[in-house]
Amino acid sequence: MPTDLPIWAAGVCAGLHAAGSRHVVYVPDNPLSHVLRGLREQYADVVTTIATREEEAFGIAAGLYLGGHRPTVMLQSSGLGNSLNALTSLLVPYQIPALIVISMRGDANEWNAAQVPMGRAVAAICDAIEIPHTDPASAGDVAETVALVGRTAFATRRAGACLLPRRLTVPAPAVPRR
Amino acid sequence: MTALSRLDATRRIAAAFEGEPIVASLGHPAYDLFATGDRDTYFYTWGSMGLASSIGLGLAMAKPDRRVVVLDGDGSLLMNLGSLATIGWVKPANLVVVVIDNRLYGTTGGQETATAHGADLEGAARALGINRCITVSALDDLDGALARAREYPGPWVVVARVDETPPTLKPPQDCVFIKQRFMRAIGSPEGGTQGGPA
Repeated sequence: MPTDLPIWAAGVCAGLHAAGSRHVVYVPDNPLSHVLRGLREQYADVVTTIATREEEAFGIAAGLYLGGHRPTVMLQSSGLGNSLNALTSLLVPYQIPALIVISMRGDANEWNAAQVPMGRAVAAICDAIEIPHTDPASAGDVAETVALVGRTAFATRRAGACLLPRRLTVPAPAVPRR
Repeated sequence: MTALSRLDATRRIAAAFEGEPIVASLGHPAYDLFATGDRDTYFYTWGSMGLASSIGLGLAMAKPDRRVVVLDGDGSLLMNLGSLATIGWVKPANLVVVVIDNRLYGTTGGQETATAHGADLEGAARALGINRCITVSALDDLDGALARAREYPGPWVVVARVDETPPTLKPPQDCVFIKQRFMRAIGSPEGGTQGGPA
């Protein structure tokens, strides 16, 4: 792998591929750009489609699943709000699975106050709409977590989310020690 | 020129695309599609307003060798105009979006939509990169447009200006049943419905 691809991003690429996903529908996010680069450089069999809005991405993913694919949807946590009607009135009631990879905002290592309220609500929203969610413990744990979440989603026909904490996806300033 | 009722328009659309998957937007478009004669190849949505064309796009990408038809509504498409930009970018040749434009939110009581006040969905589709677009408001013109959409590669947007008529039937309401039946009918049966080695 190219040395400049962060371990967590290489893990997302490897994990979604291992879960059998060959189509990623996404709304861009700064950290996720590393994943997109990894897919472009190393996974020629994975197609990516950009959507104008997160709920549209989930609609496209639902169509991909109906056609026999195992779709991944990638978004920033701020876009979960935009996704809710698609999730609650299409993917959940029709039991249409998708591997959902969410780049977190608003958690530890955030600088933008406008990102905090939704970031803090993500886990509770997922619980409320019965979408299981898992956080990888470390950058090295991302590949296994994404693969597991995806395999579980497609085997059980329930969308599942992997939440990528910002402390993994964005380099934090070093803390001087003495 | 005689007015075109939604049910008559839907009958022509169902006949033109017999055997092909049709994704129907929630409410009256789906109700009238069911009323023309239920088929396993119909995916009726019961929610996710605005997403019928997005579902159709995903399906068209997954099944490039099959024509995929979307039966959308004007109010629904207005809720997800970005979908036209994505379709205009991806340009799936096998996608036909038929917009049933009654200029009303028919399912919610008949409130006017922006198309009653000049919004032009064909123009929007064209501006967002979809080249094969047509608006029709008579039965013969609709037949001609559907024939062209079958003959020439898309993506197509066919806007059918219709009159609202009260629907009389509702499609099946079990979402998982709709999904499993549809996936089986279009040749991508869901793994969980198939059984296999222990």
